[in-house]
Amino acid sequence: MASETSQATLHSSVSDVAAGGAAHASHGPTGLLRWLVTTNHKEIGSLYLIFSLVMLFIGGSMALVIRAELFQPGMQYVQPEFFNQMTTMHGLIMVFGAIMPAFVGLANWMIPMQIGAPDMALPRLNNFSFWLLPVAFGILLSTLFMEGGGPNFGWTFYAPLSTTFAPPSTSFFIMSIHLAGISSILGAINIIATILNLRTPGMRLMDMSLFVWTWLITAFLLIAVMPVLAGVVTMMLMDINFGTSFFDAAGGGDPVLFQHLFWFFGHPEVYIMILPAFGIVSLIVPTFARKRLFGYASMVYATASIALLSFVVWAHHMFTVGLPLTAELFFMYSTMLIAVPTGVKVFNWIATLFRGSITFEVPMLFALGFIVMFTIGGLSGVMLAIVPADFQYHDTYFVVAHFHYVLVPGALFAIMAAVYFWLPKWTGHYASETLGKWHFWLSVIGVNLTFFPMHFSGLAGMPRRIPDYALQFADFNMISSIGGFLFGFSQLIFVWVVIKAVRGGRKAPAKAWEGAEGLEWTVPSPAPLHTFDTPPAYDPQTDSPSRH
Amino acid sequence: MGRILYAYLYAASICLIVLSTTAQASSINTSSGFNMPPGVTEISREVYSLHMTILWICVAIAVVVFGVMFYSLIVYRKSKGAKPAHFHENTTVEIIWTAVPLVILVLMAVPATATLKKMYDTSDAELDVLVTGYQWRWRYEYLEEDVSFFSNLATPREQIYEAEEKGDFYLVEVDEPMVVPTGVKVRLLLTANDVIHSWWVPDLAVKKDAIPGFINETWFKVDEPGIYRGQCAELCGRDHAFMPIEVKAVSPDEYQLWLASRREAAEAEVAGADREWSLDELMERGAGTYNTYCAACHQPQGQGLPPMFPALAGVGMSVDPDGLRAHKEIVLYGKTGTAMPAFGSTLSAAELAAVITYERNAWGNDTGDLIQPSAIRAMLESQ
Amino acid sequence: MLKVIRSVLAAFFGVQSEANRQQDFQSTSPWKFIVVGVFMTLVFVFLVGFVAWLAAN
Ligand code: HEM
Ligand SMILES: [Cu+2]
Ligand SMILES: [Cu+2]
Repeated sequence: MASETSQATLHSSVSDVAAGGAAHASHGPTGLLRWLVTTNHKEIGSLYLIFSLVMLFIGGSMALVIRAELFQPGMQYVQPEFFNQMTTMHGLIMVFGAIMPAFVGLANWMIPMQIGAPDMALPRLNNFSFWLLPVAFGILLSTLFMEGGGPNFGWTFYAPLSTTFAPPSTSFFIMSIHLAGISSILGAINIIATILNLRTPGMRLMDMSLFVWTWLITAFLLIAVMPVLAGVVTMMLMDINFGTSFFDAAGGGDPVLFQHLFWFFGHPEVYIMILPAFGIVSLIVPTFARKRLFGYASMVYATASIALLSFVVWAHHMFTVGLPLTAELFFMYSTMLIAVPTGVKVFNWIATLFRGSITFEVPMLFALGFIVMFTIGGLSGVMLAIVPADFQYHDTYFVVAHFHYVLVPGALFAIMAAVYFWLPKWTGHYASETLGKWHFWLSVIGVNLTFFPMHFSGLAGMPRRIPDYALQFADFNMISSIGGFLFGFSQLIFVWVVIKAVRGGRKAPAKAWEGAEGLEWTVPSPAPLHTFDTPPAYDPQTDSPSRH
Repeated sequence: MGRILYAYLYAASICLIVLSTTAQASSINTSSGFNMPPGVTEISREVYSLHMTILWICVAIAVVVFGVMFYSLIVYRKSKGAKPAHFHENTTVEIIWTAVPLVILVLMAVPATATLKKMYDTSDAELDVLVTGYQWRWRYEYLEEDVSFFSNLATPREQIYEAEEKGDFYLVEVDEPMVVPTGVKVRLLLTANDVIHSWWVPDLAVKKDAIPGFINETWFKVDEPGIYRGQCAELCGRDHAFMPIEVKAVSPDEYQLWLASRREAAEAEVAGADREWSLDELMERGAGTYNTYCAACHQPQGQGLPPMFPALAGVGMSVDPDGLRAHKEIVLYGKTGTAMPAFGSTLSAAELAAVITYERNAWGNDTGDLIQPSAIRAMLESQ
Repeated sequence: MLKVIRSVLAAFFGVQSEANRQQDFQSTSPWKFIVVGVFMTLVFVFLVGFVAWLAAN
């Protein structure tokens, strides 16, 4: 390992290591064991993506439990304590188990291929980062079967509900967060090392694809904030098991400190879940508009500004905790400002479409769906920044609508778009256009039926995280539940599409899309297990997305 | 594709129109059913107008952005023979679309700042009420008036579990509302006894967290008599959905009458501890107290929800003849490090005696122990 | 130095003329941009804080 890392900056020697690792894989263990010990970035990428899909369905089933209970007023199917476990686990699994690992999976597959590297810089670490995840989420899910049940305090786990008043399984929850956090940090280190050291000769930073750029910045965010999350759960662990009182007012502690720490992690975290999505959309839109991305440089700048600003807006999640007036104003202004670079992104995508030559293949449909619905979520974000109004919105279904718009038709649609976009490269076959279109349209209808009415129920006064509600909110909840089931079951089409493409289908050439650009389209489809064992030739004058 | 989108938008707008006409049934606040309630205070109306301003700004931005987007999608289709242009940068355009949102936001920040400053100005209040969040009820203490009481959910379990028809104010009704005089600036001092709660009444545009160890301040002034309903807005455990808020605004005269009646009731409660109570009396009173204050965790039949909330029926100190002392102590002083609160400072001696008697004799516990309010009072006074 | 500050400000705003950008990317080390960038971020945060403080008082 030591000799590997010391050589990691040298392109050719890393390619030896990667080849060595892969040789190990192909001549050594076979079957399941091969997947356990693989160090190949493509295989690990697939593992991440499959894991994330499994988590998507587990977390999704929990969402359907929630929506079933909320279909009508009154308690019908579950008890309040189980309902709380479902909302908590749904949030944790979707954030840490579905969205984040999916982006890491895409990074694993595509970053080396987009920068002309033979593999990730630290292949064995890569394997370790992945295998921490099934362990982490195995532990997390097992808490549901423990005495007293699993975590029931919301994915934001505010103390002291999550400490003094928490179920006994909470220490296991903390353990699983630690493991998932370590996995993220190691993954981020690997991505940074890869991007900074393994670019093919001639490729400068400003020549990298936006997916690589957004992931580079995301990785720095991860390294900056994951330790804060680790710190805060460790303080909880101490409060629960070792008699400290970090968050216990009775012992002189401070419950509000918890929220500051959590959101110092939490706000950058929401950008961790969206920046790579920005990168994906910035690749797909130019491809199917057959026109270069408008404002490559300003896209990079906007990503960097968002990342920096994301460290100074955290308390917009805490407007009602009673911060001093000056602090409220500061966080209101900074939050309004962060909306500007976010808007710039959207404008750039639209300027790219303008006077293009547009076709509507499935990846493009998902990317366009992303632009529209992410914008809706961004606009409700601007509303949430207005503090006096946020007093009315906060902790209602309006907030639930906001973050689901940015995360489901936002982050998740971008992931779907990416899968449809690169599936030909991964499997050698195009995904079925017909099924893909069904998947897209049913998802769009389902998502909007589910989440748009939540704006209304929230504004009218329905708090979030409640298993039962006043009669006034009955109509909107019924619509949301119907939409939720429609969306949930539509995702089975996606599974079917992927399985079909793996098994066969229309053959894809190396350059699977007419307007596609980038090194990944120069290798055959499906991409062989080893690509770019020797660095490809690269000329910024003709190949760079920022060329003139 | 265009056609599907069209059909979809069409269907969505029909849905909206239908809903906007039906959703008004049994409104629990001044909301039209799908928008923020304008409310009944000067502040709430200001907040509403901020909300509507920013909403229309967002709608306008959306119309422009999506307008250009859909125009491009329709006009520049390859199937229509569109050939791609080659521009990919334009400094002027980029400056404009960065500067315009900035200006809009600055313009929006000005009125928002002004309203926020008013909301933060708690000076010159004429009435101070200390509001304490408990799992899962609110307690109101009128600081200068020597009046305090708990406010519990009044909706019966049967309605929640579908055994009875649901009432109009299902889940937003309480046994004892908070009563305030109209035309008076009321300052709320908010705190909590266990976990974080949040006191929210949409019609007053007041939402403020109640945090253990902290005292938060906020205020409102209602001009119109009426009942204004709200709910706890911060996840606080299993019965978070079941701790509503009811503010009843009455004329200052009526308010004085109400204060007097509260004081009288409190005196009667204290006096109750002077006399001997029979087992039947204690059991009846105890059943009521138990269902209001204990059943959420220990369950109506005393079966508990182990390991978080222990059972009381048939096990432990409640059936142990030698457990009486421990039983009294845990109810009066609570148990630190768990969710069991100290009821000694919040319930009356009669209620405490009744509920302990009830727990020791209900559900086949049958210890025959009979605890007199006077004994509890003696215990509390010796502390 | 002033040129660096101007470039960083342009990056904050997100818009930079192509000529200036080409010129910036001629320089061999990114360090002066990074240092100035971080410094300007702090200045920016203090500025917003100052405005908030003014507005509150
Ligand atoms: C224009 C940009 C955005 C602005 C101005 C914004 C603003 C806000 C504000 C003020 C809140 C707090 C609301 C409250 O609790 O009262 C919030 C909540 C939230 N936002 Fe955003 N947001 C933006 C974009 C995003 C993005 C891109 C994501 C993620 C991909 C995101 C995810 C979330 C989440 C998850 C929450 C709720 C967390 C929770 O309480 O559980 N937001 N946003
Ligand atoms: Cu945030
Ligand atoms: Cu609550």
